[in-house]
Amino acid sequence: MVIVVKVGGSLLKLGPPENIVQDFVKMLEEDKLVLVHGGGYEVTEMAERLGKKQKFVVSPDGIRSRYTDKETVEIYTMVMKGKINSEIVLALQAKGVRAVGISGFDGSTLVAERKKRLVIVDERGRKVAIDGGYTGKIVKANSELLNTLLEKNFVPIVAPVALGTEGEMLNVDGDRAAAAIAGCLKAEKTIFLTDVGGVIIDGQLIKEMSVEEARKSLRKVGFGMDKKIMAAVEAIENGARESIISAGNIENPLTNSLLGENRTVIKP
Amino acid sequence: MKTSCEVCGGEIDVPDDAIKGEIVSCPDCGSEYEVTEIKEGKPVLKPAEEIGEDWGE
Repeated sequence: MVIVVKVGGSLLKLGPPENIVQDFVKMLEEDKLVLVHGGGYEVTEMAERLGKKQKFVVSPDGIRSRYTDKETVEIYTMVMKGKINSEIVLALQAKGVRAVGISGFDGSTLVAERKKRLVIVDERGRKVAIDGGYTGKIVKANSELLNTLLEKNFVPIVAPVALGTEGEMLNVDGDRAAAAIAGCLKAEKTIFLTDVGGVIIDGQLIKEMSVEEARKSLRKVGFGMDKKIMAAVEAIENGARESIISAGNIENPLTNSLLGENRTVIKP
Repeated sequence: MKTSCEVCGGEIDVPDDAIKGEIVSCPDCGSEYEVTEIKEGKPVLKPAEEIGEDWGE
């Protein structure tokens, strides 16, 4: 079966983690896998090393996000595709996996619409519409390149950089990218590996949720997890069978996501 | 600075130090407007676009 694995940037701060790489290789014995990664933390770190101070803006709902101007999207692509993606490909190649690194814009795999405007809360605490920079909302995912690679037993590793409808490269959310890819491949499972073990509400781990329950839970979970739940729901709405939000910082994190305890399964 | 809401006719109070791009809302119906310019001391407004929060990594 086809499984899409999203590895969150919080798990990649020190490079591809051995626990994930090993378990990924083991899972490839039975399944066809696509890996989508994040890496916002490393983008910020590299940008600052290059002397490009990152600007963060806050939405009216209190969500803090990177402001991606032209220079930032160039650094973003350089780090996501050039560094993080390549490091994952090399780590898997070292284990004998035929990994191929692509970005969302290769083969028009992920097409996004650039957000021309953003509404932020400025330093005076007032709402202001500003130029949107180079972030995008994914509007289309094409499976052709991914299927071609999978049919030849290559393992696609995808960086969350999409092709804009005007030919530009765009910063897109890695979880949403995984959801779009899982949808277009009609994946059996979409596994979101993160630094927490599933969805926790009122101190309780939720083992299973329907899409409807997942939507209702959005306001009861913290920022970060709500975005993951939204992406998990999107993956199913896009055509994938089920989504799993699971701990990536444990031994055998992928095996655990299918059979273990530290996870939340979301079903239609 | 005062102006009226296109939707309900309610009075919208635009702060004197409002800047281009600032979003103001009608206290009566909640409609939101973007300040496009301040012309001769008067704010020029257009209905604010619905902008979702999907800002990338």
